[in-house]
Amino acid sequence: MEHYARPRSVIETLGEEIVRIVTPVSICMLLVVILVSVLNGASNFSYGDGVTVNSVATMAYSENGSDSIWDKLKGALLNSLIFVAVVTVVTFLLVLLFYLRCTKFLKYYMGFSAFMVLGFMGGEIVLQLIRDFSFPIDCITFLVILFNLSVIGVMAVFMTKMAIFITQSYLVAIGMLVAYWFTLLPEWTTWVLLVAMALYDLAAVLLPGGPLRLLVELAISRDEDIPALVYEARPVLVNESSTAPTRIWRNGRGDLVDNQNQTSSRSNLSPDSSSRSHLQDETPENDVEEGVIRSEDPELMAPLIQNVNAAASEDLFLEGIGLGSSGAIKLGLGDFIFYSVLVGRAAMYDFMTVYACYLAIIAGLGLTLILLAVYRKALPALPVSVMLGVIFYFLTRFSLEVFVVQCSIHLVMF
Amino acid sequence: MTVAAGVGYALLALGPSLSLFLAVISRKPFLVLTLLSSTLVWLMSLIALSAVWRPFIPFKTAASWPYAIVIITSVACQEALRILWWRLYKKMEEILDAFADRVSKPRLFVTDKMQIALAGGMGHGVAHAVFFCISLLTPAFGPATYYTEKCSRIPFFLLSALIALAFVTIHTFSMVIAFSGHADGNRTDQYFAPVVHLTSGMLTLINLASGGCIIGIPLLYVVAAITLAYCSKVVWRRLSANANRIRQANLH
Repeated sequence: MEHYARPRSVIETLGEEIVRIVTPVSICMLLVVILVSVLNGASNFSYGDGVTVNSVATMAYSENGSDSIWDKLKGALLNSLIFVAVVTVVTFLLVLLFYLRCTKFLKYYMGFSAFMVLGFMGGEIVLQLIRDFSFPIDCITFLVILFNLSVIGVMAVFMTKMAIFITQSYLVAIGMLVAYWFTLLPEWTTWVLLVAMALYDLAAVLLPGGPLRLLVELAISRDEDIPALVYEARPVLVNESSTAPTRIWRNGRGDLVDNQNQTSSRSNLSPDSSSRSHLQDETPENDVEEGVIRSEDPELMAPLIQNVNAAASEDLFLEGIGLGSSGAIKLGLGDFIFYSVLVGRAAMYDFMTVYACYLAIIAGLGLTLILLAVYRKALPALPVSVMLGVIFYFLTRFSLEVFVVQCSIHLVMF
Repeated sequence: MTVAAGVGYALLALGPSLSLFLAVISRKPFLVLTLLSSTLVWLMSLIALSAVWRPFIPFKTAASWPYAIVIITSVACQEALRILWWRLYKKMEEILDAFADRVSKPRLFVTDKMQIALAGGMGHGVAHAVFFCISLLTPAFGPATYYTEKCSRIPFFLLSALIALAFVTIHTFSMVIAFSGHADGNRTDQYFAPVVHLTSGMLTLINLASGGCIIGIPLLYVVAAITLAYCSKVVWRRLSANANRIRQANLH
């Protein structure tokens, strides 16, 4: 056969944006599953009670293994309602602050909470790991390393000129730590909480009075970023003339490469980089040994997904999904956290549920992205994935596992 | 039997797929998405089957005919799914070709189509390996191992990893054969995949007999080797036909 420079086929770059979002979500879920299996391995985790956690999410009812099903359900519902109420109040507070342009305050609070999560919660988990594996390290080295890593994390969240890979890794790490903390909650509370948060997300983003919708509209009208911790996939622009895709790096939001002049103006071309105030996620602290509620910062997160730089091209379907040639997808950190909580809690039962829930969540994310293409506005990323994940979890636990084990034990497979 | 053994069993079942993934599929994001969706579809079919069979399990008798019925129904269901998958792929191909025309890129090459079929088949194979083998491997990471009574010389985990490897091969490559059969209208290719799937399912029934796994598993590998050989023949045929067509077109 003759040799000729083969022109690049269309499937080589199609779907790149989706894979760029699916990869960090998968990594976060994998890390949480590993943490859960390693740290909870010895203890009895049928009710997630290896360590008892006191927090706002268990204020109403602390699950006891011997309660009846109805009691547990009632208690879990009560817990979730309180939690969702607290989250709603705090999100409205966030909208108010954003409306009053207190962006400096929000920014500092975000840095502070990032430091708390990385330093204290991360430190606790690393201590546990050191204890479990008898890793030889002394206090001073440990403290120095922990402090340094936390400070880099704070800077990654603060500064926009940080290498984007570091920012992304720290966001994934923060999501992982918060998700691990959530998996320590009792079992019924966790599941009902997940469903409640999915419903809250749906209401908050789509209802006309919902706090997240207000936030998005404010941000759009002012041409600023939403103040929240969001994971942003690196955008890739394929230059028509050349054969290699050129990468665009957003430097402080001000100077986008001008190839993107076809992008819609509503997104993040904010005039000054300081207004790109990213805000925090939650910082629930808990002192595990004493069971004491310390300073409880309920969460301020924006669990939504947004297609940035939606290119105005004719092929709306593929372009909008993010399968097009340009555009980045932003996913709120709250989504990372709750996906990982679901998978982490599934890991506490068995690994088959982990795989099933992982596939369900990725499918939900894909569906949400398709809906994003069709509707072209900020959408809640939680509901579809969480609902699918919960359904698959219960189907797998009560039906699939028995079937597969029965077939496998007798080495009958298809 | 320790982490090393657990990882070893997992790699035994999924090692070739991992290398295939890294070499071929991870380079093109579209293939990764195809892999994920076909894994999901296989899982959904498995859940549906288990929901249907749930009232009857665990089987009270030690006879083998309930398992035969399970296998026949499952294989039938999954082959129907393969046809559905083919229809979806046809539609996707039209969209992709239209998109390629719009951005003035070349249309899908033959190798692209075969790679998509490969990714789809690998999704099925990986789903099989994950749900029938890897998800049961959790005890293998601990200090002990497990033997079944029907095949008491070899650890259960090793057996399931070997069977999973054979099935991964069969699923991956029979999808390529099936897709090219449907594309060209070749009857043999179209019927090859269901027949091979059913045969391999039935072959695992031999494992129900005491000591049967010594015969069953090698036969399964024979089927996998036949699938591989036939697939390479089909691919060669298709590629050379394509090259001939291009040469003819260039002559005119």
